[in-house]
Amino acid sequence: MNDPSLNENKGPYDWPMWLAAAGLMFLGTAFIYSATSAGVLPLVWYKEIYLHQILWCALGLGAAVGLCSIEYGRLVRWAAVFYWGAILLLLAVFVIGVEHHGGKRWINLGPFSLQPSEFAKVAFILWLGGYLSRPREELRTGKVFLAVLGYTVVPFILVLREPDLGSALVFLAISLAMMFAAGVPGPMLGGLVGSLGLLVVLAVAAIVFLPQQIKIVEPYQKTRLMTYFGRDKSRDKNYQVNQALISIGSGGLTGKGWTQGTQHSLGFLPSAGAHNDFIFSVIAEEEGFVGSVVVLALYSVLLFSGINIASQARDHLGQLLAVGVVTLLFCHVFINIGMNIRLMPVTGIPLPLLSYGGSSVVCSLIAIGILHNVHIYRRSY
Amino acid sequence: MTVATQNRKLSWLAFVLGLPLAGLGYRLVDLQVARHDEFQALADRNTVRTFQREPVRGQILDCRGILLATSQPAKVVCADPTLLGDYRLDAARALAPLLGVDEALLADRLLPRLIVDNGKTNNSQYVALKRKVPVETWEKIKAAMAHLCPGIDEKKLSKRQRTSLSYLRTKAIFADEDQIRVYPGQRLASHVLGYVANDEELTGLNGIELAFNTNLCGVRGWRKTEMDGRHRELVKYRDEDVAPRDGLNVVLTLDAGLQNIVESELAAGMEKHSPISASCIMIRPRTGEILAMATLPNYDPNHPGAFPMEALRNRVIADIAEPGSTFKIVVVSGGLNERLVTLNDVFDCEHGQFFYANNTLHDHESFGLLTVEGIITKSSNIGAAKIGIRLGEEKLWEYIHRFGFGERTGLPLPGEVAGIVHPVRQWSKLSIARIPMGQGVAVTPLQMAMAMCAIANDGVLMRPMVVSRLEDPSGRVIAHYEPQPVRCVAGPQTISNMVRALKTVATREGTAVQAGLEHYTVAGKTGTAEKSENGHYVEKFFSSFIGFFPADHPELCISVVMDEPRDSHYGGLTAAPVFHAIGERAANYLNLKPDIDLEPPVNQTLTADGGGGSSGR
Repeated sequence: MNDPSLNENKGPYDWPMWLAAAGLMFLGTAFIYSATSAGVLPLVWYKEIYLHQILWCALGLGAAVGLCSIEYGRLVRWAAVFYWGAILLLLAVFVIGVEHHGGKRWINLGPFSLQPSEFAKVAFILWLGGYLSRPREELRTGKVFLAVLGYTVVPFILVLREPDLGSALVFLAISLAMMFAAGVPGPMLGGLVGSLGLLVVLAVAAIVFLPQQIKIVEPYQKTRLMTYFGRDKSRDKNYQVNQALISIGSGGLTGKGWTQGTQHSLGFLPSAGAHNDFIFSVIAEEEGFVGSVVVLALYSVLLFSGINIASQARDHLGQLLAVGVVTLLFCHVFINIGMNIRLMPVTGIPLPLLSYGGSSVVCSLIAIGILHNVHIYRRSY
Repeated sequence: MTVATQNRKLSWLAFVLGLPLAGLGYRLVDLQVARHDEFQALADRNTVRTFQREPVRGQILDCRGILLATSQPAKVVCADPTLLGDYRLDAARALAPLLGVDEALLADRLLPRLIVDNGKTNNSQYVALKRKVPVETWEKIKAAMAHLCPGIDEKKLSKRQRTSLSYLRTKAIFADEDQIRVYPGQRLASHVLGYVANDEELTGLNGIELAFNTNLCGVRGWRKTEMDGRHRELVKYRDEDVAPRDGLNVVLTLDAGLQNIVESELAAGMEKHSPISASCIMIRPRTGEILAMATLPNYDPNHPGAFPMEALRNRVIADIAEPGSTFKIVVVSGGLNERLVTLNDVFDCEHGQFFYANNTLHDHESFGLLTVEGIITKSSNIGAAKIGIRLGEEKLWEYIHRFGFGERTGLPLPGEVAGIVHPVRQWSKLSIARIPMGQGVAVTPLQMAMAMCAIANDGVLMRPMVVSRLEDPSGRVIAHYEPQPVRCVAGPQTISNMVRALKTVATREGTAVQAGLEHYTVAGKTGTAEKSENGHYVEKFFSSFIGFFPADHPELCISVVMDEPRDSHYGGLTAAPVFHAIGERAANYLNLKPDIDLEPPVNQTLTADGGGGSSGR
C-alpha cells in the first residue's frame, strides 16, 4: 500500500503544482532580467542577476529532488538536527551577520550570503510536524501546547531581534495552522489567537501613538508602521510604497510590455527593491492586470494543490507537513503582494520563486519538494 | 480522528487561505482597472516635465546703432528649505553678504514652509531668495555653498549624513534663469526709453519699453520632456521643443550724440537759471524725426525706484502749459494765409496799454507803430491781439487746429496728452485778444515744437517719429516707419513770409539775440508765459525758445523750455542761450553746411577748405 508504484491511476507527479512552480520560476527570472536590465550596463555575464536566479532555481530543484529520495517519515527523524541547527544559525547571525536595509539578517559566505531565517522556517515545519504527530489525547494536554509554544517562540524572538518582524510573524502563523490541523483543541487555539490579537493591537497602538522617546521597536519599523497607518507624512518613507502603487496602477489592463516599465527603469521604484521585494510591482506594471492575475492564479494552483496533497496524505505527519508548507507559502505571497498594493506594512518578505534571492528560492523549492514527497507517499484509493 | 473531520479542517483552511487571495484580487481590480487613469497620471507626473524657455528681451538702439537698453542673463537664486535642515543659519550667514540682504530675514525665508497642493500638504521645496542676481555673484554663491561648514569631519558621518551634507552643498541653493535690463547710458534719454518691472519678463512700465513691450518681449518657447528619478533629462523622450522667439530690437530716431549734447547743455542751463524743470526737443523738420528729447530732472532707468515720481514724468508730452508768445506764430500765419494782413501792414501797439473787453492788455515794453514783422520781432502782445481780432474767432480756431493743437501728436510714447483748446462757443469776449498771445490755451512742449516744425517744413505739419524701425536679433528689418505728413497748415507764400519774420527774432532788434548762431541763420520765437494758479496770474514764468536753422533750408528744429527760471524769466534770456549752445554743438556734430558767409581766415593756405566752409548762401 505504501509502495508508490501501486498508485496506478495517478503518476508520482502532481503536474499542476509543478507546472505552476515552473511558471513562477520562469516569470521570476524573466522579470528579474527586466528589473535589472536598466541599471549600469557593462556587467560581466556571470554577474547578471537573472543568471544567478537560474542557478538558485537549479540548486533548489536539486535539493528538492534529493529530499524526495528520502521518505518524509524518515526525513522527520532528523528534524531535531535541522531545527536546532537553524536556531544556531539564527544565533550566529547576531555575531557574524551582515546588515542590509536596516536589518541584520544575512551571513556572508563569500560569493553569496545566506539568510538563515528562510531555512529556519522549513526546519521549523519539519520539527513541528514531527512533534505534533502524536495521539490526539496528548495534544489536548497543556504540556504539549506549551512545548509547541516554546518551540515557536524561540525562532520568533530570534528573528524578531534581527529585526525582521514579517518573518517572525510567519513562524507564528505556521505554528497556529499546524496546531489547528493537528487537532489541538479549539478553546486553546482560540485563547492563543485572542491574546495574540490583543497583544498586537496594544503593541501597534503603543508604537504608533507613544512619543518618540519611548523606544519599543526599531526606528525603521516604527516609521513603516506609521506609514502604513497614515501617520507618517514624510516624503521618503512613503515614497517606496507610493511608487510601487503607481507602478501597479499605471500598468492598467495589459501593461506597458516586458522591459518597458518606466517606474523601475527610471529609478522611481528603488532599484535595490525592484528585483526582490517589489518584483510584483514590476510584473504588474509591465504586464498589467493580466500579468498580476496570472501570478495570483499560479500561486492559487500551488496553494490548492498543497491543500489537496494534505487531504490525500497517507498519515497525520504528511498532512501536517503539507499544511505547514502551504501556510508558509501563503504567508509569503499574501504579505509580499499585500505590501506591494499597500494592504500590509512594508516588511522584508520575499515572494516565493519570483523574488530574487538564493535562500528564498532554495527554501521555497525545498518546501515544494516536501509537498511532493508527501504526494509520492500519499494514500491510494 | 476520522478522515471526514480531517477534510473538514482542510476545507476550512482552503477557505481561510482563499479569502485573502480573493481580497488581493479585488484590490488589484481596483488599482489596475478602476483607478488606472489616476495612477497613469501619477506615473506621468513622475517623468513628464514642461519647461518654459524664456525669450531674451529686445534691445533699444539709437539711429546709429548705439545701445541704449539691453538685456543680460542673470539668475534667480532659490533655495530648497527641506535640504537645509540644521544648517539653515550657516547658509544664511554665508549668503546674506553675497545677496546683500539682511541675515535674519534670509534665515527666516529659509525656514521650511507647508504648502497645500491639490489638497495635499507638502513641504515647500522652492523659495526664491533674490531675483536679478548677476551671473558672477551666482558663481560666488555656488562656491560659498560648496565650502559650507568646513569644520565637519566627513569620515565620522554616517552614509546618510554624508548624503545630506552633499545635498546641502550642491542642491540646497539653486538658480533659475533670469534676465536683467541694463541701460548703459544710465540717465541718457531716460524719458524716451522708460523702464521695466522687476519681474521675469521685464514688462515695460514706461516709455518705449511700455509702448513697444509686445515687440520687445518676444514669444516664450517651451520644452516638454521626461526626467528619470534623479532629475536627469531623457533626451530620447523629448516630445516638444519649441525655441523661444527673442524680442525685436527697437531702433529709435534718437541720436545718442545729440541727446548727450542736449542733456549736458540743458543741465548747464538748469545750473544757471535753476528752474523747476527744463526740457528740450530736437526735431528734423522735414521728417518729424525726434533726434533728441530730454527733460530735467531725469532719472536712471536702471534704478527707477530710487527717484521721485516727478522725475519719472516725460514733461515734454505729459505736461501742458500756456505757451505764451511762441503761440503768436499761429495767429500771424493765419492772418498772412487768409491775406488779411501782410508783413508790412502797420498796427498801433498803443504804447503798451490796450483797453479791450473791460480789460487792459500789456506789452513787456512800450511800442508805438509796428509792422506785422515787427510784432514778431519784438513779440508785441497788443499787436498779436489786434491781428487776432482782424482774423476773427472762427478762423483763429481753425488755424489753432491746423497747427495740431488740441489733439495728440501721435507720438508712440505713453502718457501724451492733447492739451486744452476750448471750442469757440465757450470763448469769452476777451479770448480773441488773449489766445493769439498764447493765453487761454494749454499745449504740450511737443505740440508747440511740431507747430514750429510745420513752418520750417514748408507748411506741412508732420507726425513726430521716435521709432525708426524694428529689427529681429539678426538685424533683419521687420517694420520700417515712414515720415507721416498730417496736413498743410498754410501756403508757401505765407510760410516764406513767416520765416522772414522769424529770422528777425534772433537779431539785435529781436527778443532773442542770444539765440543767434555764428554760421547759421536762425528763425525762431521766444515765449514767456506767466503761470496762473487758481485763475490768477502769479509772478512765475514759463520761458521758452523754439527755433530752426539754417532758416531757409532747415535741418534742425530745437525747442528749449524752462519752467520757472529763478533769475530772469524772459525766454530770450533763459531758453535762447541754451538753444544757442545746443545749436552750435549739434551743427558741429552733424557737420551741417553753414549758410552765413564767413571771411576766409587770414593766412589760409588750404583754399579748398576755406572755400568749402564759406560756400553757404
